Amino acid sequence: MFYKNILISFFKSRSSYLRTYNGVITTFGNYRSVLPLSTTRLALKDEKVKVTFNLYDGRKIEAEGKVGDTLLDVVVNNDLDIDGYGACEGTVTCSTCHVVFKQEDFDRLAEEAGDEERDMLDLAYGLTDTSRLGCQVTLTKELDGLEVKVPESVNDARS
Amino acid sequence: MRRRAFVVKWPLERLSARSLGTSNVAKQAADTSDIGNLSTRPPACPAQGQRSRSTHAVASVLESLGPAVKSWDEVPGPKPLPLLGNTWRFIPYIGGYSVEHVDQVCLSLRKQYGKCVKMAGLLGRPDMLFVFDAGEVERVFRGEDAAPHRPSMPSLNYYKHELRKDFFGAEKHCAGVIAVHGDSWAAFRTKVSRVALSTGAAAQYTEQVGEVADAFVNRVREIRNSESETPSDFLNEVHKWSLESLGLIALDTRLGCFESREGSESQRLIDAVNTFFLCVGELELRAPWWRIYPTTMFKKYVAALDTILSVTLSHVERALQECRDNDSKSLLQDLVAAAGPRVAAVTALDMFLVGIDTTSNAVASTLYQLSQRPDVQDKLYKEISSVLKGRPLRAGDVAQMPYLKACIKEVLRMYPVVIGNGRQLTKDTIICGYNIPKGTQVIFQHYVMANSEEYFSKASEFRPERWLQRSTYKHHAFASLPFGFGKRMCLGRRFAELEMQIVICKMVNSFKMEYHHEPLEYHVHPMYTPNGPIRIKLIDR
Repeated sequence: MFYKNILISFFKSRSSYLRTYNGVITTFGNYRSVLPLSTTRLALKDEKVKVTFNLYDGRKIEAEGKVGDTLLDVVVNNDLDIDGYGACEGTVTCSTCHVVFKQEDFDRLAEEAGDEERDMLDLAYGLTDTSRLGCQVTLTKELDGLEVKVPESVNDARS
Repeated sequence: MRRRAFVVKWPLERLSARSLGTSNVAKQAADTSDIGNLSTRPPACPAQGQRSRSTHAVASVLESLGPAVKSWDEVPGPKPLPLLGNTWRFIPYIGGYSVEHVDQVCLSLRKQYGKCVKMAGLLGRPDMLFVFDAGEVERVFRGEDAAPHRPSMPSLNYYKHELRKDFFGAEKHCAGVIAVHGDSWAAFRTKVSRVALSTGAAAQYTEQVGEVADAFVNRVREIRNSESETPSDFLNEVHKWSLESLGLIALDTRLGCFESREGSESQRLIDAVNTFFLCVGELELRAPWWRIYPTTMFKKYVAALDTILSVTLSHVERALQECRDNDSKSLLQDLVAAAGPRVAAVTALDMFLVGIDTTSNAVASTLYQLSQRPDVQDKLYKEISSVLKGRPLRAGDVAQMPYLKACIKEVLRMYPVVIGNGRQLTKDTIICGYNIPKGTQVIFQHYVMANSEEYFSKASEFRPERWLQRSTYKHHAFASLPFGFGKRMCLGRRFAELEMQIVICKMVNSFKMEYHHEPLEYHVHPMYTPNGPIRIKLIDR
């Protein structure tokens, strides 16, 4: 009985994920692309948004994301080399995905930081007035060409 | 979450008078160029952590300091006696037994010895280090590795890893989060935290938790005495509310705690949880005879845990069934879907073990504090009315009540239900300029730090505004951490916050609260709560 339950729940979990995150159930898809670390919704029409990460050590990383992706998704999906970024996988329990916006970009963001995010930002290194957590910032078409700063040491308890 | 194991007994009154530690203090004074009275000027930390500086920078500074890093032996603290160690101080009457006032003990240790204090020679326990420096707390927290070790309840450890290892060890990495460490903990935690800590996880329960809070409000309205005051066992009613709310969240079930009957399943669960509370304190704080033979207390404790486990399992079974039948969303079903039935059951068990009295004591403490502050209540009432405008509470409403949240934060700053947080070092670490060996239990004294002028301006005043106007009030983010920080942060945080916000909101919305008795002192029991009957006069609004 117990093993049967496990089997059922295992199967169940896959299918419910597919329903939740994919909309259309594909029978041939690679599961890894459906169950990634990121919380991306697979959009059928991809509208690309270009993002540039200016790292604290002077490196500049350019990457592309889709409308609806979070900045964390962009880092995870493109496998960007930013040490320790997004350690808590977007559950807002760390501040490793801390990014600093330019004032004009900050004002353009669709949503303000929620309480959970503000609580975590409070514990981030080098907090500024235009700081946000990358996992809570969703890309829109207007943000194409966005540049963000990744502050010195995103090291956190989760690193 | 809760820390039980480090609640130590310590002589209160005699501590400051004892001259036992003077040799260490003297040495410390000589080491620092400061020649001053140590009780007023604690020794400065060579590696005082600063906000917005990376750990690497601090670490390299420390390396370059080299010889300035002092050894473990030099850490100031009360000196253990030969053979007896420091344990003798915990003996009732002889040592000045005072487990209940460990908060005051910590305050006086801070005053006497400075920002880090060693408590060595505890028989059967690793040496402890009390840290009173928020900068250092930040540094230690940020420097943590992937699986920080948290000192925990040995009796629960024994239950999970010895007595019932057939269950907890049957599946790999499935023993839960309480009293579990290393890879096993990390694997389990990762599975659960994405479900339990995601930002939307709690909000979906707003209406259901609201119903429980309504039932609680009705219940206290009924049980008021002739003076319109809450009865002296008010805390017990708050426990019932907490258990009812948690049953809803962890098991998808209304347990019916407010109208429970003898012999029902919910009554068995209530009894078991109560027994667990009573026993765990006794087993952890008194001499651990249960390690040698199963004492009556220990047998009761095990039976209670077995009951909680079996009730939990039966509900998980049912949830599995429902999971197949329909697509309704709940934490339990999400957990079953994401990680399997066993993980879901063990998570529910852990939530019952540490999620009830923590939340209920925080609520009781908040209500008590509010009852003494009519002006704060007025402000709260205005805020709540302006959001609700007479309609029932809906998901997302509490997000628009910043003052309500600030009030809870302020109560937890001044009176944190868990007065400290701890880590067992997994590697040698430099804290306050001393090299602290691996295996030491480091206790961060949040109660002392959060009440010190150094980290909070006007620390002794109840000012919820400080959490809203951060520029006006100075504050160190790592001084007050009621839910802990980092990888081992409270897993139930989102739910606990939601439960508290909703019940406080409903209470303030329904009653004007007043308190007309002698002020209550707080004590460690083992949560930090008002000592005595909480008799709040409830006047209907």
